[in-house]
Amino acid sequence: MIILDAILQGILMGLLFALVALGLTIIFGVMDIVNFAHGEFLMIGMFTAYWTSLLLHIDPLITLPASAVVGMLLGLASYYWLVKYLLRGPMIAQLFGTFGLMLFLRYLAQFLFGTDYRIVQKGLLVGKSLSLGPFILDWTKLSAAILSLLAFLLVYYLLHRTKLGKALRATALNKEAAGYMGIRTDRMNALAWMIGGGTVGIAGGLLVNFWYVYPTIGLLFVMIAFASVALGGFGSIKGAFFAGVLIGMIEMLFPVFGHLIGWDFLGPHFKFTVVYFAYFVIVVLRPQGLFGWKH
Amino acid sequence: METLRDALDFSDFSRAERVALVLFSLLLLLFPWLGTGSFVKTVVIQFLLFSLFGMGWNTIGGYGGQVELGKAQYVGIGAYTVALMMVWWKIPFWISMPIGVLIALGYSFIIGYPLFRLKGHYFAIATICTSLVLQDIFINWKLVGAAKGIELPIHEHPDFLYMQFKSDTYYFYFIMALFYAGLVYMNWFRKSKLGYQLRMIKDDEEAAQSLGIDARWCKIKAYSIASAFVAVGGGFLAVYNLYIDPYSVMDLDLSIKIALMAMLGGAASMWGPIIGAAFLVPLDRFLGSWLGGQRGLIGVDFMIYSALIMIVSAYQPRGIWGIVEQFRRRDR
Amino acid sequence: MIDLIKDFGGVIANNHISFEIDQGEIIGLIGPNGAGKTTLFNCVVGYHKPDSGKVIFKGKEITGLKPFMTNREGIGRTFQIMKVTAGMTVLENVMVGAFCRTEHRAVAVREAMEILNFLGLEELKGFHLNELPIASQKKVGLARALATKPELLMLDEVASGLNPKETEDMVALLKRIHQEKKITLFLIEHVMEVVMPISQRVIVLDSGEKIAEGLPKEIVKNERVIKAYLGEKYAKGF
Repeated sequence: MIILDAILQGILMGLLFALVALGLTIIFGVMDIVNFAHGEFLMIGMFTAYWTSLLLHIDPLITLPASAVVGMLLGLASYYWLVKYLLRGPMIAQLFGTFGLMLFLRYLAQFLFGTDYRIVQKGLLVGKSLSLGPFILDWTKLSAAILSLLAFLLVYYLLHRTKLGKALRATALNKEAAGYMGIRTDRMNALAWMIGGGTVGIAGGLLVNFWYVYPTIGLLFVMIAFASVALGGFGSIKGAFFAGVLIGMIEMLFPVFGHLIGWDFLGPHFKFTVVYFAYFVIVVLRPQGLFGWKH
Repeated sequence: METLRDALDFSDFSRAERVALVLFSLLLLLFPWLGTGSFVKTVVIQFLLFSLFGMGWNTIGGYGGQVELGKAQYVGIGAYTVALMMVWWKIPFWISMPIGVLIALGYSFIIGYPLFRLKGHYFAIATICTSLVLQDIFINWKLVGAAKGIELPIHEHPDFLYMQFKSDTYYFYFIMALFYAGLVYMNWFRKSKLGYQLRMIKDDEEAAQSLGIDARWCKIKAYSIASAFVAVGGGFLAVYNLYIDPYSVMDLDLSIKIALMAMLGGAASMWGPIIGAAFLVPLDRFLGSWLGGQRGLIGVDFMIYSALIMIVSAYQPRGIWGIVEQFRRRDR
Repeated sequence: MIDLIKDFGGVIANNHISFEIDQGEIIGLIGPNGAGKTTLFNCVVGYHKPDSGKVIFKGKEITGLKPFMTNREGIGRTFQIMKVTAGMTVLENVMVGAFCRTEHRAVAVREAMEILNFLGLEELKGFHLNELPIASQKKVGLARALATKPELLMLDEVASGLNPKETEDMVALLKRIHQEKKITLFLIEHVMEVVMPISQRVIVLDSGEKIAEGLPKEIVKNERVIKAYLGEKYAKGF
């Protein structure tokens, strides 16, 4: 029973993880850059939702568009002011570049908001739960999961049914060939960053309803995102989805498992260490992940 | 012995470089008597320490071209070995340090073997992962002090067995000796077979393979050397600060700083890490003390740091030394 | 005696190709694009593993050995397209090759200089690859491979990108390498001006199969070869 509950909770969290991973995998798929600052984008999405709902006295769920917009702008700005130049350089520079962005955003947030932990406390769904048979599900988490799923499907639709989306995928597959077809790589890159930033911004907006936000939260989630993307296959959207959910389940099941076999010292804190470890194992044993699209 | 001769032979550097090195060394030797305050002394000690770290990183990150961001775990291994051995069994520094190095070497081989199946971004992320995992383990492991860390008992000064001194001057000469040992080692390394092979791997790994180089094994060797270097520095930290915890010696930020300094100064060059440290350590300390004092400005020093990282990455990835080399080539 | 017996099957590009090379020969491998020459090359060198079949070198089976191992066994290779970076100088490049056979820097320097002198490149020793014209780059690639003291040298389109004069130079150079260093040569080539004059035997591949093997002057008259390159019409004679 505990196990089923853990699985259910895992799926809920996993859907959110999947959304976070989506942006990362799209950016990577289109231009082979790993956005180390992805977690910070999430954090900013969280803060946006938090401050917007607090200052404008509106329900946090309604602030989602704000998080999305801020995320998109952040992605665009990052591309046009930094990433565009990084693409010309060697990989080490690209790595350090997005790393620098990560640090910059993190400490900027620390400077602006201080190190306190904050969480949304007033809202339509905050604190309420749904009873489904023997399971009790928090409405905040449930709504986050549902909305993540919707967002995911929306992006999927965008990428597979619209002309723009197809252009993006074409660039991801072969940017030169796409270029010859008249698709401007530069624009596609920017679009990728916009979608990446937007989706993770939304994820942040959803997360802050039940998870504390603080300036350094980015690292944790970016590592989870890395693990998801690695597991799913760098560049694979389907992969991001299934891997995200899987990781969510692993993360919830791990303490339960530990408890069951008496390894209680593998406390709740370790469930994230497991994720880091999982990344390592996945990438070494099966570099192409589940749906291996690139590499 | 050819090795020793090679290590001490700096003749293939330009005259200007050699003169600069001599002047620099003289300055260092006389430094404690220049009457500067204790703050400056700590900064210089930090500078030498980070140069040592940077040189180590350079082995695999610069010459080898494999950007790894997990050096802090080896600092931690070095520091914890020295600290724990002293606290538990009263083992003197001169025995615990080499043991720390051996542990670091062993650990790096074990991790290195699977790690070097990866390349590029995947590799970098994996190095972060391993460091985070180790840090997490140490934070939760009561046996080694968990998050509280370890405090080293204070001995009567000066104590050469356990390397504890009241005055910074002793520490200064100690780290200076380590610094020069590192420098001499790097001088040998860049002329050694491994050094050449590593550079070839960085330039064109496929070609390197065609020239009889087992790329994976070479990388592992270089990685282990880097880890040993860094562990030595870790041991120094333990006896210098007399207090260590997983956040101060194993943190991701430390790994980043080390790699950043080497990169800023110019990876893949002898002087690069030193130049990088010379720039960033004072910057870090002065900013920290100037801004840190003012409460509202936490993290601004890091902001400036990271802005620097971004700018350097975007415009001059080859670092300061890279700029120097560019000028040199133009003159030819 | 070097025998190379290859009998591949199943590798998408090579279908049951089998031949031998004797020590001291110069063998050319030609064929239209997509014939499978590169795949064959890569299987010998160790870059790919053949799905079936064997590669035997000097009586020892080397099938599937990684490239660095085949090199240590005595097979050297050049690259058609070299990664041209500003990292190491010409001398350093060749030294890396020399280090394959020695542990000492002094020895490596000496061997490297000897090779550079042999190829007439000693003036370029301090330059970086990206500062050199293609012909020189190719020669450096040769020098590098030669420094590993191979018994069999495999050349991947070593003449591509060279103008006629440079091509002539290259032919002369290859001849010298063959005669003075006593190295067996195996060339993949598209440039007939290189392959035909110096090869003692030519092997022709087309669409993954070996369609001809023999002396150069026989190959040019071979109907299947002409058909492969020029199409049916010309094979019937014109």
